[in-house]
Amino acid sequence: MENQEVAVDVTKRILLTIALLAIIALGFAQGNASDKTSSVYKKRVLENIEIDILSSYYTQDGDNAAVTGGIGTEKLDDTAFNISIAIPLSDDDVLSIDGTVSAYTSASSSNLNPFSGASSGEDDDDKDGDDDDDDDDYSTSATRGSPWVESSGASREDVWVSGNLAYSHTSDDRNNIWGANVNFANEYDYSSLGFGASFAKLFNEQNTELGIKGNVYLDTWRPEYPTEIAEYVHYNGNFSAGFFQDVDILDSNGIVVSGADGWKPISNTLIKDKARDSYSLSLSLSQMLSMNAQVSLFVDLVMQKGWLANPMQRVYFQDKDNFFIGNAADIPNYTTTSNREVFQLADDIERLPDNRLKTPMGMRFNYFVNEFVVLRNYYRYYTDDWGIDSHTADIEVPIKISQSFTVYPSFRYYTQTQAEYFADYEEHLSTEEFYTSDYDLSKFNSSQFGLGIQYNDLFSKTNFWMLGLKNINLNYSYSKRNTGLEYHIVSLGTKFMIK
Amino acid sequence: MKNKILSLVLVSIFILLLLSSCTAVKSYQKINLSDPDMELSERHAKKFETAAQVYREGASGANGGKSGGGCGCN
Repeated sequence: MENQEVAVDVTKRILLTIALLAIIALGFAQGNASDKTSSVYKKRVLENIEIDILSSYYTQDGDNAAVTGGIGTEKLDDTAFNISIAIPLSDDDVLSIDGTVSAYTSASSSNLNPFSGASSGEDDDDKDGDDDDDDDDYSTSATRGSPWVESSGASREDVWVSGNLAYSHTSDDRNNIWGANVNFANEYDYSSLGFGASFAKLFNEQNTELGIKGNVYLDTWRPEYPTEIAEYVHYNGNFSAGFFQDVDILDSNGIVVSGADGWKPISNTLIKDKARDSYSLSLSLSQMLSMNAQVSLFVDLVMQKGWLANPMQRVYFQDKDNFFIGNAADIPNYTTTSNREVFQLADDIERLPDNRLKTPMGMRFNYFVNEFVVLRNYYRYYTDDWGIDSHTADIEVPIKISQSFTVYPSFRYYTQTQAEYFADYEEHLSTEEFYTSDYDLSKFNSSQFGLGIQYNDLFSKTNFWMLGLKNINLNYSYSKRNTGLEYHIVSLGTKFMIK
Repeated sequence: MKNKILSLVLVSIFILLLLSSCTAVKSYQKINLSDPDMELSERHAKKFETAAQVYREGASGANGGKSGGGCGCN
């Protein structure tokens, strides 16, 4: 709860900062507008202040939760809100302010502590104030959970907030664009500070644009661990203290074993380096090919260093005996959804290398078929030094069904090979140096179908106070993986300009 | 890995040389290219969809947006 209060507090601060900056920028923009009459006319880079508002609801489900070692419910719901404001500071300068709040509830992350009343319906009453998600009143009989059941632990919900401030300056001849940005993001176990700069050069009668962009993200974990591992390490393996003191540990036959003779994680070392730094360099080239076609190429080079594994995610080894807490009757059905009352104690958290080099290369090709139809195509090849190669193909076909309405049918196909450190539940060996059972790093392919509709108010005739409506859109997408994960997302967006 | 990156860079240079030979489109001929749906970037309406993909897939980047950092995702 303390983390959520911090997140709400941070959200308030970000929104207040954004509002303050918007007011300052508005004053600055109006000041510049009044000076405009004395200078030589040139078309402004941005004529009016523009405001984009976007909200979305996302829901997913699947059977391969990483928090519970590659099996278990992946149910997650997320509601998000974003506001982006672009403010012309002068004929040449634009300030962009962007804020996002995203609130989720997740069965998967709730199972960081699966023993928080998952089956018994008890509340998570973490009374000792250490915010460890532990239910301090739990009795032995009530201590049961399952990877297939959402627990009521505090980690079942969280708020992610982010803010981004960007500034761009365009030269008088409109052929050079400089930009800089700074951003911040926070969630209960993770925070990020980022900054970057960009430059774009247009030439060949503005048919060609070459861009370069660099970004640095300095991220920090506030690690949360699976309850059994956190408690084991915290109490130095003393099963008479903390979470384990009144809990029976069962072997795979359902026989109660003493702590000292039974389960223990293979390592007492948790996160050593709480930093995760990302350095990205992006090159882009855009080219007009004809009066109806244009293309752009993107090549990124992303280097990541630090703790790249997720400390919440459990791993189970095939060469280690299995131990459980809960109802022994459910042990034979552990990997099936009929298991509602027993949970297997983790052998370790996932371990991954402390560096990663990603090289994605993408291409967009847009073709204006006629005044009713446009083809928007995207392809990306991705490779990294963890062994993942992937291909992404995306096509969207905006169809103008009237002067004001456009529909957006789309299809996206994605495929990737598995990271060399991935193996399924109970398939890793404890002798391996790196291991994960996160299915986002497995071999899979997915297909996504989407449909959107947008209303365009061509002359912003519809007004709300001083806001003139530019467009309003509604989008829906459905995606399904061949591993079973599927998600739906619906977004509602609107764009205004200040007259 | 190095060979793959080298191949990507070589392909990029080849395409760049190919594109630079294209005939220039004059300003007055750009009306179709100026259609909002012809923008060479993702629609703002897809912002959260892309964010979900960044979380749920091993690959990210090369779409003009964020390519790493800022979240506890892959």
